[in-house]
Amino acid sequence: MPYAATRTSPQQHSRVASNGRAVAACAGHAGVPDEVARHHEHAVAAGQCCSVMVQSIAAPADAVWSLVRRFDQPQGYKRFIRSCHLVDGDGVEVGSVRELLVVSGLPAENSRERLEIRDDERRVISFRILGGDHRLANYRSVTTVHEAASEGGPLTMVVESYVVDVPPGNTVEETRIFVDTIVRCNLQSLEDTVIRQQAMAAPAAPHNDHNHS
Amino acid sequence: MSMAQVCCDSAVAATAAPVVGAEAEARARARAERRSRAGESGAWKHAVAAGTADATRKRSLGAGELLVARKHGAASVAGRRREMEDAVSVRDAFCAEGTADGGRRDFYGVFDGHGCSHVAEACRDRMHELVAEELAATAADSSVSAAAAWTVAMERSFARMDAEVTSAGGRAAAARSSTCRCDAHRCDHVGSTAVVAVVEEHSVIVANCGDSRAVLCRGDGAPPLPLSSDHKPDRPDELERIESAGGRVIFWEGARVLGVLAMSRAVGDGYLKPYVSSVPEVTVTDRSDGDECLILGSDGLWDVVSNEAACEVARACLRRGRAKWCAEAAALLTKLALARRSSDNVSVVVIDLRRRNH
Repeated sequence: MPYAATRTSPQQHSRVASNGRAVAACAGHAGVPDEVARHHEHAVAAGQCCSVMVQSIAAPADAVWSLVRRFDQPQGYKRFIRSCHLVDGDGVEVGSVRELLVVSGLPAENSRERLEIRDDERRVISFRILGGDHRLANYRSVTTVHEAASEGGPLTMVVESYVVDVPPGNTVEETRIFVDTIVRCNLQSLEDTVIRQQAMAAPAAPHNDHNHS
Repeated sequence: MSMAQVCCDSAVAATAAPVVGAEAEARARARAERRSRAGESGAWKHAVAAGTADATRKRSLGAGELLVARKHGAASVAGRRREMEDAVSVRDAFCAEGTADGGRRDFYGVFDGHGCSHVAEACRDRMHELVAEELAATAADSSVSAAAAWTVAMERSFARMDAEVTSAGGRAAAARSSTCRCDAHRCDHVGSTAVVAVVEEHSVIVANCGDSRAVLCRGDGAPPLPLSSDHKPDRPDELERIESAGGRVIFWEGARVLGVLAMSRAVGDGYLKPYVSSVPEVTVTDRSDGDECLILGSDGLWDVVSNEAACEVARACLRRGRAKWCAEAAALLTKLALARRSSDNVSVVVIDLRRRNH
């Protein structure tokens, strides 16, 4: 299933270094950091559409990445997934395949997906939808996690982009609206989950804090 | 936008004046003490088909006054979908505020959840309490008409229910459910329909949000009377409301709000607000002597059984003359929906409206 984030305000975009290169197919990619811009450059064929969404989270990048990287357990923060099990590979190596069951109420029942990229050093994960009971053909998603500059506490930026076929009978705009809604909900849920986990971990912090004097 | 409908089939208008006088007050207090829970869907989870009806319960009160519980039956089945996310609520004499003539009010609700079960379960557990509270608050204001008072009370109840399931506190309350799989504080992706009926001596009040439905079976071969209108995203006025708010209705395996949800109103679903609204449409219908029963059902029933067919099934059970005919009708309707390959959970409540029952 597709996954998306809340669009940041222009001010937040301005804190992201642009790669300076035009990506003709995806104007929205201008805000993607240089070091992973190539991962978000999708080859968009005729009859396809793409989109990119950004979510800022007031938490350390490692905490965010620890959730995002779990190919075998996407339901840790993706609420529309009821269950996930691996049908090939261990969930860590590229080529692993998972099957998801989707919660009720959505126009989808299940999805079969392949892990395409997982780079713990650069914090990049990508998967491709191979099949399933839904209308998203040739869907490929890339999610990257980045530390952002912040005056206050830790701030992390999550960038998720995807490319997908426009289903028969629908328009590019309609397809984007549908997929962006799901991805936005997932990225909001990611933020909620990370913030809650950080809050639960917080009581232990004072005992380890030797910097106050 | 809300809609309050009054169907006047007789010259006698329903009244909702507050209870007055020491004697009436004592009766109201006694009724409140006897408030009970009945017809819980829990008893029927995953059963192929099951129904029950309270035997007629006569209760003496004061100087020979007789209160008789209305016959009803409820049935719920998971059906072809693996998980049960429907909930049913039946609350006899749920409200301490009786009607002006000392009559009592019974509450019935069907809640069809999606995304998870906990919003529907919260509605089952709380909606009748919220309605009772809002009725008490509204009863104090005698300047509004009965229909307007009901609309205000129901809209407030639904808004409070929506706020409860959206907040972290509401989520914690739902956590007790064994069928809830969520582990996050906020579950914006979960929601439920809510079709609620309050049955009084002279009126039936229905508040609906979503695509469950309430249908009144009038007697004498009259056609069934829908007391609610399904909130589908492509219903012209719903489509207009959604698009005016900046949303879109996209055909994606049927008409869906933003291509995602197949109903235009629901309790919960925070991520789709304001396009998916929790404002109910309220109808107030005068009862008539020939009325046979009221049927509440989820779309698992109505997608495959027409209003007419449902009333015919209920009527056939009624004519067999058995005491538990409402339970039989509810069970039979769920079986019929399954036989017609409904792809959803099915929940049905059948309420006996015949006058001689009282």
